[in-house]
Amino acid sequence: MLTQPTTDKILLAIADDLNSVVLPSVTDEPAKVLLGQIDQLLRRLSRRTASEIDWMILEIKQINDAIGRETSDMSSYLLTDVASAYSEASGALGEAIDKAFSEDDTQQIAVLRQLLVDRIAKEQEILGQLDLVGRG
Amino acid sequence: MQDSTSVRGMQDPSVMPEKITALLDSEGATDIDISGYAPMTGGYSRLMARFEAKFTIDGEQEEGTFVLRGDPPEGQAIIETDRSQEYAVLKSVAPHLNTPPARFLDSKGIHIGTPALILEFTEAESTLPWIEKNGISDLPLKLAELAGAMHTIPVDQLPSSLARPTSGDPLTDQIQMWKKTAIDHVEHLPIFRYVAAWLDKNRPPPVPVSLVHHDFSTANMLVDGEGDLVVIDFELATIGDPREDLGYFKAYAQAAPPDLIDENPDDFLSRYREITGFSEEQVNPLVMTYFLVLGVIGVVSQIANVGSAMAKGETSSTNIAFNLDNLLFGQAAWMAATDALEAALDGEVN
Repeated sequence: MLTQPTTDKILLAIADDLNSVVLPSVTDEPAKVLLGQIDQLLRRLSRRTASEIDWMILEIKQINDAIGRETSDMSSYLLTDVASAYSEASGALGEAIDKAFSEDDTQQIAVLRQLLVDRIAKEQEILGQLDLVGRG
Repeated sequence: MQDSTSVRGMQDPSVMPEKITALLDSEGATDIDISGYAPMTGGYSRLMARFEAKFTIDGEQEEGTFVLRGDPPEGQAIIETDRSQEYAVLKSVAPHLNTPPARFLDSKGIHIGTPALILEFTEAESTLPWIEKNGISDLPLKLAELAGAMHTIPVDQLPSSLARPTSGDPLTDQIQMWKKTAIDHVEHLPIFRYVAAWLDKNRPPPVPVSLVHHDFSTANMLVDGEGDLVVIDFELATIGDPREDLGYFKAYAQAAPPDLIDENPDDFLSRYREITGFSEEQVNPLVMTYFLVLGVIGVVSQIANVGSAMAKGETSSTNIAFNLDNLLFGQAAWMAATDALEAALDGEVN
């Protein structure tokens, strides 16, 4: 298969063309709003697709380290399989959060909270600037 | 019944005047003339259009501009709400609030092709463009008065169909909704679990339940010719803790400034307490920030649920994906709020 240009670069090119070629020729207001949303989504997807598998695998290990679990090797690097493993680890993190709060374990709460703060930092990097297209 | 052909018709000026005429006719109007039908933008979750109408009803001749507000095609709504309930809420709040009156309802979409209601059009201007031209002016105090008026409408004057706290305590219900949203979503949401646990640990003193708008933001406010705020869009309203609206307003303003409350929080809160009769312990800046987090869950759970449906292949639209991304901005705001309150809350909210 051809891997170059990578998916993130192609998505960016599509977003740029939508913005510079398609959008100026559109007069229908609801269609303009939709194009604005599509533009933002494509740019976010470009950033996300370049890094999400690596990001999830790294975070699964961080979660397991924090809650005292062993991290086993991934049996598959298909996006759906990695996302499933990521969700499982997130569920375990949620259970650990509930337990820490119920036991008023402030030290563990702080450790688990830091994992969430790190997750949010990555998400913000992917999201970029918020523009509530379509809201008054 | 709703069918996709009829719903697409809501964007079609060639078919809609006849449908609107049929609805008005079924309500007893005569001499009906509909013209100037044009789809509108800005109806975030519903399809909207404006039109001119002349008709006679109850022996009175009427002429004016109206707004048709209908459900999008099945599976494409970012949130599922009930036009009949929205109509009933609009009727019940009209004597108390500055809001465009609801006039006609097609609850099952028999005439319009999708459940829809007709409201009077208001010439009032969207809040943010108004502020750009006129400055903040006295909108913060007017916001306090609007919120106060909404939260002091006697509960027994509101529709019985409005959802009430099932546990008897709105805070417990809201915290449960945070947990349920985390559990029901298509993937695990540990930030939601953290927020739920944190909210449960830091409950403020209770206040009496009232109408809660649940999308109380500048996006749902207009400014009329007198400089007064007009509130619209009651589709998410329930009975609950009124402070949820204050928190939601602040949460929305973080994404779409300015925050009218932050212009002068003391004046805002003082006026709001004066109208509602709440104490300073019940409503203060810290409590408001607590509700900044708690109060968004109604909208958030709807967005998350539709996002799950899209992930399972049950529905699909750009709008759903776009709104899921907005949840990520929300997560950052909620965690920042809990962080900022950690020290300040010690001994003050508990």
